[in-house]
Amino acid sequence: MRRSLVLVSAAISALGLLTGCSADGDGSGSGKTTLSVAALEGGYGRDMYAQVIEAYKASHPGVDVQLKISKSIEDEITPNMKAGRFPDVVVLGQGRKAALTETLIKDKALEDLTPVLKAKVPGEDRTVGDKLIDGIVGNLNTNPYGTGQTYTMPMYYAPSGLFYNKGLFAQKGWKVPATWDEMFALGEKAKQEKISLFTYPTAGYLDAYFFALLADVGGEQFYTDVMTYKQGVWQTPQARQALDLTTRLLKYAAPTTVGYANEQDFTKNQQSILDNKTLFMPNGTWVVGEMKDAPRAAGFEWGLTPLPPVTVGGKRYITTSVESVWVPAAAKNKDAAKEFVAYLYSDEAAKIFAKSNAIQPIKGIASGLSGENAEFYKVYDETTVEALVGGFASTAPVEGVDIKATLFDTANSIISGDKTEDQWQAALNDASEKLRQAGG
Amino acid sequence: MTESSPARRRGNGVFVLACLLPALVLFAVFMIVPTLNVFRMSLYTWSGFSPDMRFVGLGNFARLLDDAQFVRAFQNTVALLVVVTVVTMGTGLFLAAIMTRQRLRGRTVYRFVLYVPSVLSVVVIAAIFSAIFDQKNGLLNGTLRLLSLDGLQQIWLGDQQLVLWSVAIAMVWQSLGYYMVLYMSGMASIPEEIYEASALDGASAGRQFFAITLPLIWQNLRTTLTFFVMSAVNLSFVLVRAMTGGGPDGSSEVLLSYMYKQAYTNSSYGYGMAIGVAVFAFSFFVSLLVSRATRREPLQF
Repeated sequence: MRRSLVLVSAAISALGLLTGCSADGDGSGSGKTTLSVAALEGGYGRDMYAQVIEAYKASHPGVDVQLKISKSIEDEITPNMKAGRFPDVVVLGQGRKAALTETLIKDKALEDLTPVLKAKVPGEDRTVGDKLIDGIVGNLNTNPYGTGQTYTMPMYYAPSGLFYNKGLFAQKGWKVPATWDEMFALGEKAKQEKISLFTYPTAGYLDAYFFALLADVGGEQFYTDVMTYKQGVWQTPQARQALDLTTRLLKYAAPTTVGYANEQDFTKNQQSILDNKTLFMPNGTWVVGEMKDAPRAAGFEWGLTPLPPVTVGGKRYITTSVESVWVPAAAKNKDAAKEFVAYLYSDEAAKIFAKSNAIQPIKGIASGLSGENAEFYKVYDETTVEALVGGFASTAPVEGVDIKATLFDTANSIISGDKTEDQWQAALNDASEKLRQAGG
Repeated sequence: MTESSPARRRGNGVFVLACLLPALVLFAVFMIVPTLNVFRMSLYTWSGFSPDMRFVGLGNFARLLDDAQFVRAFQNTVALLVVVTVVTMGTGLFLAAIMTRQRLRGRTVYRFVLYVPSVLSVVVIAAIFSAIFDQKNGLLNGTLRLLSLDGLQQIWLGDQQLVLWSVAIAMVWQSLGYYMVLYMSGMASIPEEIYEASALDGASAGRQFFAITLPLIWQNLRTTLTFFVMSAVNLSFVLVRAMTGGGPDGSSEVLLSYMYKQAYTNSSYGYGMAIGVAVFAFSFFVSLLVSRATRREPLQF
C-alpha cells in the first residue's frame, strides 16, 4: 500500500512538473469572442495599435482583442504556431529575416482575404477595395500565387529608393543625376572631393535598388519574368545590363561599406550619408526615424529619388515596401479576424496610424501628410515614376537556395573582388532555375 | 549492523526509482524525444508549420553533399575548432603554469582580468569586438596607426579572408580565462614536493611542465578538451550571428548558423534538421577522436 502511494505521488509530481510547463489556456469562456492579434513593433512604435484596438473594442463590445506586440514578433508566436495555436490576425510583412510570412505563403497556410476587399468597412459605406489606392493589391505581394485571390492585405506603404542629403547637393551645386551616365560622372566628381557615390546599410537593402532597376531595364513584363523565375531570364541582355550597371556602380561604393554591412554596424553605413562621406544609399522611409538622434552635417536634409532611368525620358520605378496584415488559415476566429482587418482601413483607424507616420494605402491619405513624409510621398506624383510592389514569387522551399541572398549578398563579393560578374550571373541563373523547377 | 532483508532492499529500490522518475520523465520528454524527432524530421521535406510533410529518406543528406554553402560552413567550423582549440588550450595551459608556478606580482589581478570575459554575455563580447575591429575607429587599427604600421590596417569584418579569424580571436578571448582557471585548480593540487625533488635533480621550469604538470593534469585536460570542442561549436554560432551574420557573402558561415538559416528563414525545416544530424554526428565523431587520441595510463600522486 505504502509502495503504491509512493509511486502515485511520484507520478503526480512528474505530471505536475509537465503540466506546469504547458502553455496557458486561451482565456475563453466569458461569452465574448477573443481575437488574438500579433503585430510587429516596427519604426512606428506600439501605441498606435493599443489605440486602434481600444477604438475597435468601443464599437464592437462583443469582441475582446488581445494584442501581442514585439520587435521580434516571429520569435514570440512561432513556438505556439508550431504547437497548433495560431493568432487570428498578424501584422507582419515580407522581407523579414525570419521570413515567417514567406514560409506560411509557401505552405499555403494563409486565409484567402479576397472577401475582405469586397466587405464594407465597419461603420462606413465604402468597401475596403474601394478605399485602397490603385495597384496596391493584385500583385505578387498580395496575391502571391498569381491567382485572383488576395492572401495578404497591404497595411502600410512607403517608397524605397536612393536616399541622399539634399543640403549637400545644394551646397555643392550638384544636381541629382537624371541618367546613369550622369550618375557615374557625379561619382568621379565626388571622388575628387573624397566623397563616395554609393553605399548600402547591409546587402539586403539592395532590394530597394534592384527591383526598380530590373523594371527600369526591361519593363514590367521583364520584372515579372525575373520574379517568377522564367527559364533563362538571367541570361538575357536585360539581366546582363542590370548586372553591368550594378557592377559599375559598386566600383564607386564607399570603402567602409562591406565591413559595416552587418547587423551590428549597418547604421555606420547610414551615418556616412549624414556625414557627407557618401552620396546615395538604398533605404526606406523608416531611416529618418532610425537616425533621428544621429549627428549630421550642417544643413542636412533628407532627400529621396528613384534610380536614374536607363533610357533617357524612360519610365522609372520606385520600389514600394508594403507591410502586410494576414490571417492564418488555422486561426480559430476567422470571421471576426476578417472584420477586424476590414476595420483597420476605416478612417478612424487610419487617422490613428497616420499620427505615428504609418501611412496606409488609402486613396487621398498622402495629401494630408506634412514635413519629410510629404516630400517622400511626392515621388509618386512625378509623371514618369511608377510604384513597384512585390518581390520574388513564392515557390515550394528549395533546400540551400535563397535567390535574394544570391542577388543581394554577392554585392559584397563584387566590391571586395572575391567574385566576378560572370559568377554572379551564373549563380543567379542556377538559383532561378532551381526555383522555377520547384514551381515558381 | 543488521542485514537488510530482500523485501526491504526491493522497497529501497522502488523508493529510489520513484524519486528518479520525475527527472527521468522530464529527461525523456525534453531531451530524448526531441533528439529522436530531429533524426525523424531530417528524413522529410517540411517547412516547420504545414501539415504537409513529404518523406524523402536520405534525400536531404544527399543534397548536403552537393551544397557548396554547407561545405563552406563545414570547412569554417572545422577551421575554427582546430585553431581556437589549439590556441585556447595551449595558451590556457601556459598561463596557468605561469600563474601557479611563478611568483608573479599582481597574480590575482591577472587572473581576474583574464577570467572576466567568461562571465560576459556573448552578445556583449560581439559588441566589444565589433568596436575593436572597427575599420575606422577600432582599437586594432588605431593601435596599428599609432605604431606607424598603417600598411597592416585591415577591414577585419569585411575581408572574406580575415573575417573568420576575427571571429576566432573573439572566441579565444571569451574562453581563455575559464580554462586557465580550471587548469590552475588542477595544477594547484599537485604536491609541491614533486617539484622540489625535480628541482634538486636540476629540472628546468619547462622540463617540470612537460614531465610533471602535464602528465598529472592529463585527465583534467582530456575532459576539458572534449567539453571545449562541443561548446566551441555553439559559441561560434552565437558570435557569428551577432558579429557578422555569416557574411560577407557567407564567408563566416558556420554549421549551426547555416542550419538556422535553412530551418528558419529558408522554410526548409527538414533540411535544417539534416544539418542538425550532421552536426550531431560530427560532434560525436570529434569527441570520440579526442577521447581516443588523448587516452593515456592515468598517473596519480
